[in-house]
Amino acid sequence: MSKTETGSPGKMGKWTRRAFIGAGVVAGSALVVGVAVRPGNPIDRLSPMLADGKDEQLLNAWVKVDADNIVTAVIPHVEMGQGVYTALAQMLADEMDADWNKVQILEAPADKQYVSDSIGRDFLFPDLEVPALFEPTVAGGILELAQAMGLQFTGGSYSVRATGQRAMRTAGAAAREMLVAAAASEWQVPAGEITTADSMILHAGSGKAEPFSKFALAAAEQSLPAKPTLKSPENYKIMGQSKARHDIPGKVDGSAIFGIDANVPGMKYAAVKAAPVVGATVESMDATTARTMPGVLQILNMGDFVAVVADGYWQAQQALNSIDTKYSKTEGDSLDQEALFARYATHLDEAGENGGDVETEEGDVGKGFAEAVTKVEAEYKVPFLAHATMEPMNCTAWVRDGKCDVWSGHQAPVNARQAAADAAGLAFEDVTYHNAFLGGGFGRRSESDNIIMATRIAKATGYPVKMIWSREEDTAQDHYRPSATSRFQGGLDKDGKAVSWSNIHTHLFDPKDAPTVPYYNIASHKIRKVDVPTQLRFGPWRSVDHSQHGFFIESFVDEMAHAAGKDGYAFRRELLAGSPRHLKVLDTAAKMSGWGSALPERHGRGIAFVPSFGSIVAQVAEVDMSGPKPKVTKVYVAADPGFVINPDGFTAQMESAIVYGLTAALYGEISIKNGEVQQSNFHDYPMLRINEMPEVEVALINGDHKRLGGGGEPGLPPIAPAVTNAIFAATGTRVRELPLSKHSFA
Amino acid sequence: MKTLRSLACLAPILLAACGADPAPGPVEQIIVREAGAKTAAPAPAAATGDAAGALIAEGKAAFANCSACHAVAKDAPNGAGPNLFAIVDQPAGQVAGFAYSDALKASGITWTAAELDGFIADPSAKIPGTTMITGAIADAATRQAVIAYLESITAN
Repeated sequence: MSKTETGSPGKMGKWTRRAFIGAGVVAGSALVVGVAVRPGNPIDRLSPMLADGKDEQLLNAWVKVDADNIVTAVIPHVEMGQGVYTALAQMLADEMDADWNKVQILEAPADKQYVSDSIGRDFLFPDLEVPALFEPTVAGGILELAQAMGLQFTGGSYSVRATGQRAMRTAGAAAREMLVAAAASEWQVPAGEITTADSMILHAGSGKAEPFSKFALAAAEQSLPAKPTLKSPENYKIMGQSKARHDIPGKVDGSAIFGIDANVPGMKYAAVKAAPVVGATVESMDATTARTMPGVLQILNMGDFVAVVADGYWQAQQALNSIDTKYSKTEGDSLDQEALFARYATHLDEAGENGGDVETEEGDVGKGFAEAVTKVEAEYKVPFLAHATMEPMNCTAWVRDGKCDVWSGHQAPVNARQAAADAAGLAFEDVTYHNAFLGGGFGRRSESDNIIMATRIAKATGYPVKMIWSREEDTAQDHYRPSATSRFQGGLDKDGKAVSWSNIHTHLFDPKDAPTVPYYNIASHKIRKVDVPTQLRFGPWRSVDHSQHGFFIESFVDEMAHAAGKDGYAFRRELLAGSPRHLKVLDTAAKMSGWGSALPERHGRGIAFVPSFGSIVAQVAEVDMSGPKPKVTKVYVAADPGFVINPDGFTAQMESAIVYGLTAALYGEISIKNGEVQQSNFHDYPMLRINEMPEVEVALINGDHKRLGGGGEPGLPPIAPAVTNAIFAATGTRVRELPLSKHSFA
Repeated sequence: MKTLRSLACLAPILLAACGADPAPGPVEQIIVREAGAKTAAPAPAAATGDAAGALIAEGKAAFANCSACHAVAKDAPNGAGPNLFAIVDQPAGQVAGFAYSDALKASGITWTAAELDGFIADPSAKIPGTTMITGAIADAATRQAVIAYLESITAN
């Protein structure tokens, strides 16, 4: 497609041709600036809705300046511990030259005007390039599509790199330029002589200095800057700083409200138990005992699950436990773990050398493999994984008088609102969705099963009901990271250089590039997948497909290195030759770890390298295999997300990804017997304990400030292979199946 | 719209939304007791204290919903709404450091119990333009309990 670029090309990525800026006045007192995603200025239409209070709050805007000189950043993403409120507010405040101490944060309402256009784009048209002339049409189309998809979504490590980079910064810069223009007009001085700092507008020549608020109204009258100038990194004052997290004080003093804290007057409690085999229905329930138990109000057979409503949660759960339920037979009743992996193997066998769906192909991998001097083959397996969020799944709902209110913590509030509307049989507009902090999301809270169940219960009772899942229900009724099998064939030439790479694996979910290795310089590669139906529900799990492919790919690279008689670090350096940015990350991690230096007997070091979600991460793990089970003693992380907005927050994301990924590598396994999930609680689905946590050292690299990567997920994929590669170095035992608890290293 | 729906299903993260149930009601509904009725089991002994104390306690419980936005402890920071410490009988729009709407600041209201009652019942009807867009309490008895609780929070 031809480019008719009209602005400074690629100055700050692509937003200049994609964004439309709107400004307006709310309640006569505030400047509101937003980056709209279609032409026109919806804020004029939306502002009265806020002012007259006839509708719920509607602000297609990212920033407000009010009469007290408070700058409010409106955040269209949810806080689930990842620090998004703070990072996005930093991006806006910095471009605006706002006083960080006077910045407030407001989470955007669950409204379709807040769909993440920039996310929709990256999901659907990652490489979209359109002439400026057609941009409005395309943007409008995207908005419509994104709205249909309910993409007010927090996930995919997208918030900072998409919403922050494309919307928050633009809105901040535009607001600043409009304030300056208003001051220039009032003071009769050129705008170019005016500077801004700490929410003040300054003119050195005349010594004039006024707060933003003084010009907030006049600024709203200014014409909209089509392409506000964004700062370059040397001028950042707030971005790149470890600003204290806005959400933490409330989490420390207990005042923070999570979904499970919803408190509605007159509210009752529900406990639920769904059919243990997906697709089964309740054939009969014997509630003889339950109906005599204290506090019980109602016992509901909802077809696919049973619910007890009582005055208190514990009463509801106890009564539920007493109910004897019979379920219908399903085709899935016979499903077992081993049978499932056997089914994967059958499909992979049937695909043979050329079957399955080709994901990427370059060069002639068959020829490359045939001519290779050394051939390496391996098969790897990973199990289903549950999310085990600390806050159990819950939702509070109230359906009455043709309206519905729903309270929960959800990664996609617009989806949740739509799900409640569908479940209640009401229009979207008749549902008010109240979002709260999420006590862990990890992808689990992008699903709406809990919203639908609570709404159905509330509709049946007529009064407000808080539904809380037991941990047993949470473990057995998750939307799981799929189990998977992956097979590789690799070829090395006489110099031990990788020349062919062939992979076939089960499932492809998201992101589509997870199984691919475009950053490794291998002459021929071919990657295929086969789809194998299972009845278990899949769901995104922190880093999604990268969580398994990181392990598969980096284990196999290590096996090739070993076959080539080379060190894992040196072998990867060869594969990354010509990619200085990638090499720098790999080298940094290796150097931090003292790679190559001597270690005690049965200790080992392993390295892994996985670019994901736009960020490049290398990790070196050290293990101590002298005891009965692996002990990971130290993890060194080097990460390049382009530019780190909040180093402390980003580092915390790397550390928490290691906690989450190491938990899975050591213990994580959801197994199936007779169609049912076998695990139920933390005794059989254990979490990493504090005494097992390795020391983690993180180095951050700002490799390309124009193209940011994510922070929430990229720290996870390298940890499992870094550990298993270290185990190989320490013991000579290659781990090809997770979790590690299945293996004996004695 | 049909096309958009099916496209939406391509995005795997959103699969759940596409497979939403047609929301079936209960197959079987056993109503043991109405929500307002007393439980058959013996009620726990009432806490010591007079009727006013009980009302304040009820208001405190109901205020949990309000506490998402409003702190009540002395000198606690403002949330999405202003701190309501000793708010009763104070002029509206005067809590330090809170960014009020113009409408509320210009309201001239003094927060007597009656004014609070009217405001909490429907904030934007009472003061069009207020930024308090959630938290209305429809039930008059609950409002009285919440106001009793706020009255109990004083500088003394």
